[in-house]
Amino acid sequence: MAKFLGINRLGRLFQAIREAGGLKQAYLKLYRNDDLKTGKLIGIDKYGNKYYENPYYFYGRNRWVEFTPHVNMDYDASQIPAEWYGWMHYKTDLPPIRDGCRPKHKWIADHSENLSGTKEAYAPYTTTTPKIEAWNPNKK
Amino acid sequence: MIRAPLVKALGALGSPTHQIASRAVRTSAVVAQTPAKAPEKIEVFVDDIPVKVLPGTTVLQAAAEIGVEIPRFCYHERLAIAGNCRMCLVEVEKSPKPVAACAMPVMKGWRIKTNSDLTRKAREGVMEFLLMNHPLDCPICDQGGECDLQDQAMAFGSDRSRFTDINYTGKRAVEDKDIGPLVKTVMTRCIHCTRCVRFASEVAGVDDLGTTGRGNDMQIGTYVEKLFLTELSGNVIDLCPVGALTNKPYSFVARPWEIRKVSSIDVLDAVGSNIVVSTRTNEVLRILPRENDDVNEEWLADKSRFACDGLKRQRLVAPMVRMPNGELQAVEWEGALIAVAKALKNAGGQIAGVAGQLADVEAMVALKDLVNRLGGENLVTEQDFIKGSGIDVRSSYLLNSSIAGLATTDAVLLVGTNPRYEAPLVNTRLRKAFMHNEMQLASIGPNIDLSYEHKNLGADASLIKDVCSGSHEFSKVLEGAKKPAIIIGADLLARPDGAAIHATISEYCQKLKKADWNPFNVLHNSASQVGAFDVGYQPGLQRMLQNQPKVLFLLNADSGKLTRDQLPKDCFVVYIGSHGDNGASIADAVLPGAAYTEKQGIYVNTEGRAQQTLPGVSPPGMAREDWKILRALSEIVGKPLAYDTLDELRSRLDDIAPHLTRLGELVPASNSEASPQTTPNKSISGGAIDVKLKELRDYFMTDAISRASPTMAKCISAVNKQQRQNEEAKQSAAI
Repeated sequence: MAKFLGINRLGRLFQAIREAGGLKQAYLKLYRNDDLKTGKLIGIDKYGNKYYENPYYFYGRNRWVEFTPHVNMDYDASQIPAEWYGWMHYKTDLPPIRDGCRPKHKWIADHSENLSGTKEAYAPYTTTTPKIEAWNPNKK
Repeated sequence: MIRAPLVKALGALGSPTHQIASRAVRTSAVVAQTPAKAPEKIEVFVDDIPVKVLPGTTVLQAAAEIGVEIPRFCYHERLAIAGNCRMCLVEVEKSPKPVAACAMPVMKGWRIKTNSDLTRKAREGVMEFLLMNHPLDCPICDQGGECDLQDQAMAFGSDRSRFTDINYTGKRAVEDKDIGPLVKTVMTRCIHCTRCVRFASEVAGVDDLGTTGRGNDMQIGTYVEKLFLTELSGNVIDLCPVGALTNKPYSFVARPWEIRKVSSIDVLDAVGSNIVVSTRTNEVLRILPRENDDVNEEWLADKSRFACDGLKRQRLVAPMVRMPNGELQAVEWEGALIAVAKALKNAGGQIAGVAGQLADVEAMVALKDLVNRLGGENLVTEQDFIKGSGIDVRSSYLLNSSIAGLATTDAVLLVGTNPRYEAPLVNTRLRKAFMHNEMQLASIGPNIDLSYEHKNLGADASLIKDVCSGSHEFSKVLEGAKKPAIIIGADLLARPDGAAIHATISEYCQKLKKADWNPFNVLHNSASQVGAFDVGYQPGLQRMLQNQPKVLFLLNADSGKLTRDQLPKDCFVVYIGSHGDNGASIADAVLPGAAYTEKQGIYVNTEGRAQQTLPGVSPPGMAREDWKILRALSEIVGKPLAYDTLDELRSRLDDIAPHLTRLGELVPASNSEASPQTTPNKSISGGAIDVKLKELRDYFMTDAISRASPTMAKCISAVNKQQRQNEEAKQSAAI
């Protein structure tokens, strides 16, 4: 009966609120992530993104990320760096902090997020000549 | 003296067919001279419709009179009759064979059938032969869509071909010829109509093109490898009924159904040729002539036709102000106008304006009104003219005989001018008078090639006095002529003794004057000049410099005659115009204006005909129409001009000079007032007379637009290359 009414989940709700750090923090988290979960913190990457896991949830929702607070609502899946990508997408169960075999080279470029829609977005240069060639007064 | 091609010369001997031939080339100008007693008209029937025509009219012309168009390739109204394409074959009742309509004069009572079975069969046969030797490359041919052969094959050709190349020998093919940077040749497409050959020898006066070989081996070309370099070469592109001669800068650019056409006026010389500006997606692609028998007939000079790519280069696209470090920097309109207004307020009325070669009348009036409102009186044209009161009377600065009238002259004296390069289409009129009217031409000035025979009297200015006093032998020719004309170059009058030359000649012209004929002509070389004088500008920069202006407006003034050193140190120079050239580089503020294809502006040509340009494209970037810039500036200075729209400005023009708004009409200066009011005490000082444009290479770049044009630069290097080759050939021959 209790199971039927979902009373057993109430405990999880209170736990999640507790873990979030109070009612207000829980509300903010819910607002930002559209979700309020409890889980085990697996690791934090160098950008401040936190990775959680909780096998209680079904496969596909049992690993999640809470993006670093300074991006606020402008988070994007492409902010997950390459080393955490594999763990997030179940390519591996070993998170990078526990995987010693990951290659570490000096020349590996820093991760960059998808810049579409921002000022830094990639735009190919035009290959057509302009119809009007303007006068340049300083060219001699 | 045999001047015309042989066919026409024979015409004088009385053979009826040849008289027709020569009649057809003569134009209205010559027709006007036919004796008062008109010969009786004869009646013929074209498709059973009776039509009365003068004896000697060809079948083709008689049919055209009732609106029946007979297909043709080689026949052209303004060229001699060749009769070699055979496309105009028509059936005449009781004639055993079809006759060539373009060359056959009608006889009394002829019944011409332009749509009978025999006619249609004859046309189909001719068309089949033409297409047998014509490549089927319409999809890659530049003439596609405006090709006479395409159209007539659709209308008059057969619906199937009997041409089968069973032996795989290939169609007849001819090697292409390099005849210059303007005309592209694909000689395989040529159908041997010889229009280009006739144009070159009859109108352009350059016997460079001709035919070699006969039958299937016939070729049009220059025989030896050389360039077809003349100031009128572009017209063979229009004349070519197929795609054998096409526009080289325009090749593979657009199809005729993609382009928008705007009727406009050319401003690169003072003739005011009527043009059609072809545009697509806000870009001027090419310029074609528009027919106007009073001005340019249907020809167009090469500079006017091919310099249009200069409209896309060296453009002013944003207002600029000179910064303290001495560099021009692009700014917003507001900043530029405020900077100019500040300078105007500090000038205290010491304001001057200079109108250059390409300035339209609207902008000149707006500038004049603005300067006058601010207390300035100093408005001059960049091109010099006589000092003193010479421009008070309109007839003293016009080409009074009119451009079309020059073709009817029978004695002409050129003084210090080279019409071939200053106004090529005036030269074609003179050449026409020479060819068909036995006109005698003499020139005072350097010995130049006018493309026809003329007598050079010498270069000394004192010869003017000799001729005008009646003591010179050419005076007798002028005095004995029915329609004499004296043409003075505008540059000549800039001399210190220009006023004396002007007065001497205009006094002599009083003597030569006929009832409806004014022989006094000034040939201008800048499109704005007559309009500027009409609205009250004074000639010459000297007058402006004497007054030490604090603010100087340069309206399209780009000739480079004015330098920074001539101006006072604190003078603030404002340039309004379309191109970054000599004017913009000395300016303190540059206000970008519109070029002639981008604005509606009135220009008055050298004979005093007001015509307007129409915008085909919009001005680039932040550029605006010139008069609007001045209107906006007047608002910021606090002395707003009294017109907000073009119509209001036009009514202001109407107040100043009513002829300016009678567009397209020639308003002649009244004949009676052409009297020298002031007899200058100075006399002609002598010394050699020179002209600026002596050779073809001088012709191509004369203004801001043509100086920016890459095509014109190619033309000059082609002329130089040709000359080098000629010299080398001469040297090797000498060795």
